[in-house]
Amino acid sequence: MLGPLGWVLLGLVPPMILLLYFLKLRRNPLEVPSTYLWTKTIEDLHVNSIWQRLRNSLLLLLQIFLALLLILACLGPGCQGQKLAGDRFIHLIDQSASMAATDLPGGQTRLDFAKQEAAKLIDSMDSGDTAMIISFSDRANVQQSYTRNRSLLKRKLAEIQQTQRSSDIGEALVAASGLANPGRTSDRESERDVQVADALAAKLIVFSDGAVKDVPNFSLGNLVPEYRPVGALDVPNNVGITAFAISEDLDSVGLQAFAQLQNSDDEAHSVDVELYVDDEIHDLQSGFEVPAGDTRGISFDLGGLLEDLESPLPVRLEIKDPDVYLLDNVAYGTIQPPRQARLLVVTRNNPYLQYVFETDRLAKLSRVEFKEPGFLKTKEYRDNAMLGVYDCVIFDQCVPEAMPECNTVFIGCVPPTDQWQVSEPAFPTLVVDTDQSHPLMYNVQMGNVLIVESMRLTGPPAMVSLMESTAGTIMGVGPRGGYEDLVIGFPIVEYSDAGEETHNSDWPNHLSFPLFVQNIVVSLGGGARFDANQGTRPGELVNIRTRVPTSSVNVRAPEGDEVSLDSRGDRTFVYGNADSTGIYSVLNEESPDDKQLFPVNLLDARESNLAVRDKLEVGFEEITGTVDFIPETRQFWPWLVLFALFVLILEWFIYNRRVFI
Amino acid sequence: MSKVVSGKPRSQTEPLLTPELLSQLERLELVSRKIFRGRMKGERRSKRKGQSVEFADFRNYVAGDDLRFIDWNMYARLDKLFLKLFMEEEDLHFYALIDGSSSMEFGEPSKFHYAKQLGAALGYIGLCRADRVKVEMLDASPTSNAPVLRGKANLWRMLEYLDGLQTGNNCTLTEAVKSFSLRNSGKGILVLITDLMDKSGYESALRYLVARNLDVYLIHVLSQPEIDPDIHGDLRLLDCEDGDVAEISVSQRLIDRYRQTLARYIEDAREFCARRGIVYMMTSTERPVDRLVSRYLRQRGLVR
Repeated sequence: MLGPLGWVLLGLVPPMILLLYFLKLRRNPLEVPSTYLWTKTIEDLHVNSIWQRLRNSLLLLLQIFLALLLILACLGPGCQGQKLAGDRFIHLIDQSASMAATDLPGGQTRLDFAKQEAAKLIDSMDSGDTAMIISFSDRANVQQSYTRNRSLLKRKLAEIQQTQRSSDIGEALVAASGLANPGRTSDRESERDVQVADALAAKLIVFSDGAVKDVPNFSLGNLVPEYRPVGALDVPNNVGITAFAISEDLDSVGLQAFAQLQNSDDEAHSVDVELYVDDEIHDLQSGFEVPAGDTRGISFDLGGLLEDLESPLPVRLEIKDPDVYLLDNVAYGTIQPPRQARLLVVTRNNPYLQYVFETDRLAKLSRVEFKEPGFLKTKEYRDNAMLGVYDCVIFDQCVPEAMPECNTVFIGCVPPTDQWQVSEPAFPTLVVDTDQSHPLMYNVQMGNVLIVESMRLTGPPAMVSLMESTAGTIMGVGPRGGYEDLVIGFPIVEYSDAGEETHNSDWPNHLSFPLFVQNIVVSLGGGARFDANQGTRPGELVNIRTRVPTSSVNVRAPEGDEVSLDSRGDRTFVYGNADSTGIYSVLNEESPDDKQLFPVNLLDARESNLAVRDKLEVGFEEITGTVDFIPETRQFWPWLVLFALFVLILEWFIYNRRVFI
Repeated sequence: MSKVVSGKPRSQTEPLLTPELLSQLERLELVSRKIFRGRMKGERRSKRKGQSVEFADFRNYVAGDDLRFIDWNMYARLDKLFLKLFMEEEDLHFYALIDGSSSMEFGEPSKFHYAKQLGAALGYIGLCRADRVKVEMLDASPTSNAPVLRGKANLWRMLEYLDGLQTGNNCTLTEAVKSFSLRNSGKGILVLITDLMDKSGYESALRYLVARNLDVYLIHVLSQPEIDPDIHGDLRLLDCEDGDVAEISVSQRLIDRYRQTLARYIEDAREFCARRGIVYMMTSTERPVDRLVSRYLRQRGLVR
């Protein structure tokens, strides 16, 4: 800065200008016929005071003003401000569902507050600093890549929308670390390993309420993380639904709806919970107590709704007491009408299969045709098989010429394709293991079942082995396009050419056999007495499968938007716009009866817990909520110089145009 | 203004009188509001009786009178000798005084050139009517080489004299007029062509002329830059005659004030002249000489 002498010299500038003005050093000489009249004129003006001359000399005033401005600029005026430490910033804005909580003063949402705070940080950036904005929920979205344009950053920041998704910071961190931790050409051990780009360290500022999954396998590398918790300091009042399911009660008499309520507050709350079926109130529980920081289950009896149910019903569970986070106060479900699987059993009079399908339960779940193997040669079969009339065909020791367009079960034989091979029957067969986790083997206990001889199976690469004997796989299920083929490597009842029955297994005498057949009907035939569609979470893809083949369906979102989907073949459709919670309807114009509903629920205990976390765990580091500011004097001198320049231009204009002197 | 300061003005190379102007001037005549006594016989009626064709009066014969003028018819009738008197026709003195100070050098065409043109034009009118014409540059010296001319044939002498004139004769107006008055005693018409830019004042000079009982016309010549100055900036004005300096910062206000001062100066001069029977006329160098003579001076009664 200037020393005392400099200041004195600076202070002398305006008087010098005045002095120079009076010395009139810059007067241009001009010869005139006579100064007589001019002298008389000046004498008139001289009568007035010198100050009047000054007042009329706009140029002089402007010059002095200009000098004062420049002196002021030299003084370096400024105000104490704050500046973000660093020169590259990555702003991570949480836009997950919990950021919609309105627990901040004035009912402001957490997302709005986060955007506001981020805008402040962008404002406090130096002109040379660059910043990047990434918003994240369960996926990351780079709103704006590195730029110095602060207005662009703020515009992109304002464009960040609230979502109803859960939060996962992992993807956002990967996106953020792209430039900070550039990849390498090969493995680090190699001598020829080259880093593809220079690492550019950046400051990572996370605006979140902390309701994110921990990211254990992530190395921050050159990212310097800072966490800015967003949310009220005291734990907000929120009771939310974190689980919701509709299922049959144990004795299969009626339906029940179960829900789990979570209270993330530090005091107990009693809430009123109402259950709506088809938008009409069906049941309610008032004053349901949920202890502080705990969860409670609640159940509703849906009674005999399933009787004469023809089209799917929407079900909605609501907590009527308002709190700061409304998204988890509603949960959606649907009740689908029972569906009968259409099965074809091709057998030479296997009595056990007939007995099984005659039971009450399976009779409700399925509609079965029994045919002799000769039926396979008829045109009727070929047409039905090609049109996908059947949900599942069971071939008992007989093989079709071509595989039908549906799921199949082969008992004691293999499909007529190259992928399935069998060995010679081996004796004896000792069942070693069954895959009870597979839906086809639910509750199927094979421990005391005797099997005389069986064939070892080799199937397609993706075959899942369901039952293994000492010889190898004797039962397996393998995919075929969109269908599944279940192959059982041993017959149950064999028939000699003379028509004699020989029992190869005592399995039909055990309880596990009808359960296994029921699993086939439910899993391969798609038969259901009650279809509780558990739905998906916001933002996930929804797979829709129609009952009858159709080329397109319309999906109507809860807000009323309709999207038309084209079939991907095999009656399945994929819907990717399920971004908000609610009940979506699938409308099939070709067969209006085939209406489906599916619910989309967040049901996320982490999002419903509104207590703000004071740290985030990323890799082995804990990010705590601090942001480094360095005190900074905000300089105004460039503005003064700019203004002085403007004054100079004005002066030049006046001097040249002589508008007024 | 810079055109005037640097380089020779275009107007100096132009002839003073064009043939068109000459033919126009031949039809004109100088008019005096007073009847003066001339020295030689001219074309003007004189106060004196003399020899002309126009009869004036009779008087008694006294011894020594020219017998040729006795009216013999009267003698036959009345038996008394009477002498016939005729109107005398005389010439007229015409003086044109041109201010030759340095200030006259300004303007486009210069005021001096303009003054010479005007002097030549008026002088030619006088020459055509056989008046005694003297066109002279104002000078404080007791002698003058200005020719006194009569007759159209002497036009070239007048023009030769005028062409030889140069500015730079910076005496005061009063001294020059006083010197002129001492040298010339004739009565007649006097046209003073000047810019009146004399710091000592023009009043005493005009008084000398009025005292001579001349028929005085004052033609005040100003150049356009003096009437409507087109200058700006901070200037140091140098007086070309006495080197006086006036420092000004041109502003609209100053320009306005200058115009006011000039208007008042002209008005003062007009009033001063009007009170003393001097015909005053202000003209700009922009105004063509032929128009000035044939129109404006005709209105003022100097020519007809």
